[in-house]
Amino acid sequence: MNIRFLAHTADVRMELEGKSLQELYTLAVKGMGEILKKDFCTQSNNFSKNVTVDIHASDYTNLLIDFLSDVLSISYVEKAIFCSVHILEFSEYNIKAEIKGSDVKMFDEEIKAVTYHEANVYKDKEDQIWKTCIIFDI
Amino acid sequence: MRKVEKHHIKKLEDYLWEIPKSFRQDMRVPARVLASEIILDDIMEDRSLNQLVNVATLPGIHKASMVMPDVHEGYGFPIGGVAATIFPDGVISPGGIGYDINCGVRLLLSNLHIEDIKDHREKLSKELYAQIPSGMGKGGQIKLTPLQIDNVLLQGAEWAVEHGYGQREDLEYMESHGRLQDADPSYISDMAKKRGSNQLGTIGSGNHFVEVDYIDEIYNEDIANAFNIQPGQVVVLIHTGSRGLGHQVATDYIRIMVNAMSDYGIRLPDRELACVPFNSVQGQRYFKAMCAAANFAWCNREIISWEAGKAWKNVFDDFGGGLKLMYDVAHNIAKIETYTIDGTDKKVIVHRKGATRAFGPGFTELPEPYKEVGQPVIIPGSMGTCSYVLAGTEKSRDITFGSCCHGAGRRLSRRAAKLQVNAPVLKEELKERGIFVQAGSYKGIAEEAPIAYKDVNLVVDTVQNSGIAKKVAKLRPVAVIKG
Repeated sequence: MNIRFLAHTADVRMELEGKSLQELYTLAVKGMGEILKKDFCTQSNNFSKNVTVDIHASDYTNLLIDFLSDVLSISYVEKAIFCSVHILEFSEYNIKAEIKGSDVKMFDEEIKAVTYHEANVYKDKEDQIWKTCIIFDI
Repeated sequence: MRKVEKHHIKKLEDYLWEIPKSFRQDMRVPARVLASEIILDDIMEDRSLNQLVNVATLPGIHKASMVMPDVHEGYGFPIGGVAATIFPDGVISPGGIGYDINCGVRLLLSNLHIEDIKDHREKLSKELYAQIPSGMGKGGQIKLTPLQIDNVLLQGAEWAVEHGYGQREDLEYMESHGRLQDADPSYISDMAKKRGSNQLGTIGSGNHFVEVDYIDEIYNEDIANAFNIQPGQVVVLIHTGSRGLGHQVATDYIRIMVNAMSDYGIRLPDRELACVPFNSVQGQRYFKAMCAAANFAWCNREIISWEAGKAWKNVFDDFGGGLKLMYDVAHNIAKIETYTIDGTDKKVIVHRKGATRAFGPGFTELPEPYKEVGQPVIIPGSMGTCSYVLAGTEKSRDITFGSCCHGAGRRLSRRAAKLQVNAPVLKEELKERGIFVQAGSYKGIAEEAPIAYKDVNLVVDTVQNSGIAKKVAKLRPVAVIKG
């Protein structure tokens, strides 16, 4: 289970590795939360906000990007950061999940968008780990 | 994918380079770079040119995919790019406009000389920071009802003027008069409208800013006179866009197009280039939504100008004399424009992502005083360096679909800038040089430090030497407001 942030000329590149897709989704949401507000998700696990997200997409990669995009939009409208994902239904083309988080007064960073650029969700055959890279437009 | 190397690039003329169509089998047109050789070498440090080659694969693209000298790597399209597709069945691609729809700049002119404000610079910076909401998550003073937001999306800057946030004559001094007529708010999602409902009059964060400058040098007196700018004159530069509303519109439609592309037999090397034919149902909906988001951005910049005017009045009272709009221009937008192609006039869909429209003299949309000299092109530099006012030329229509650069262009990632810059020290250094910075965080100062950007002087000289715009004036900053 791993999140790495790498440099990109105008944006933030995040690399994720998880033992399962459930873990990959949790890491993705936590990683995005880390960009929005540093250490927010590591400092608290008593969450006051609970929202259900339901996404349909054409493959694993689009599903993750579309899911994160919706979490980001909800973060802005609710003025909250989400740190936890509980998957209710999952297939290659659909995810229904409960996300949990808490209110914030201000965000550290404005993420304009979660992009599809270079995103590729796959299971590495050698180490059986789910991996992807995600580039955020900042 | 095959990486672009120097030996793949041929020189067409001074400041114009080409990666031929034969470089990659899926290219439909060549890819062109407007740059000096020094800048070209710098551009080759990141993956901008590979992204430019990907843009050359778009269905219906005409002539060439192009980048300006301030280009840098983006996500899908490079930032600083222009792509024109044939109207009406060439594609429209939201990624070719960017997430911040109608991000743009405007310049306000004052009657004051730099000597007049010398002792008030810090106070002015604080007052501007107090009057103009900035930073992530900070809403504005205006809370729009659903009906009001639809009116803003339809009317653009006119809405601000009708509600007392600007003067009617301001509209003459904006690209497209601050309103795109094809806007249709019904194609904008409720989520986007919710995100925009409290964001009018706010600059946001990132590279957006409000800056007080003075005219340091005039390069072309005739054009400067037409633009009503003089040496030593104090001006205000505003850089922001359509805020969360525009980001959500782009997100919504890129998702729609990623899924719809296969229905039109479109396959691309990067999903972020997602596109559909302009005259398709999805293409038309996006275009009308993009126009509406662009209108929101013009309204936003008009209201920020009103807030800047309030700060001005609070500091200088009647002595200040107010602020007057010189020009407002977009640098993330798609426009239907007409060019002579193979001897006949044809319409194209010009995508500008980090590129400024730069039309020359005679353009009928321009206000009367500018008609003989060309459209003002406003090029912000990095914090603490300098910015420029240029004028568009007829040649830009021949070379770059009437487009020019939009800034200095990033060269360091935000992360690298934060590692290299001590923000509190930089803030003090700038203060010692007479530049007062007010920012929501030191992080924001570090990320936007001058070291993070290319040399705007080299970029602007390239643009001038290539003939697509003329240098008119150089601006030096004295106060910077950032999120």
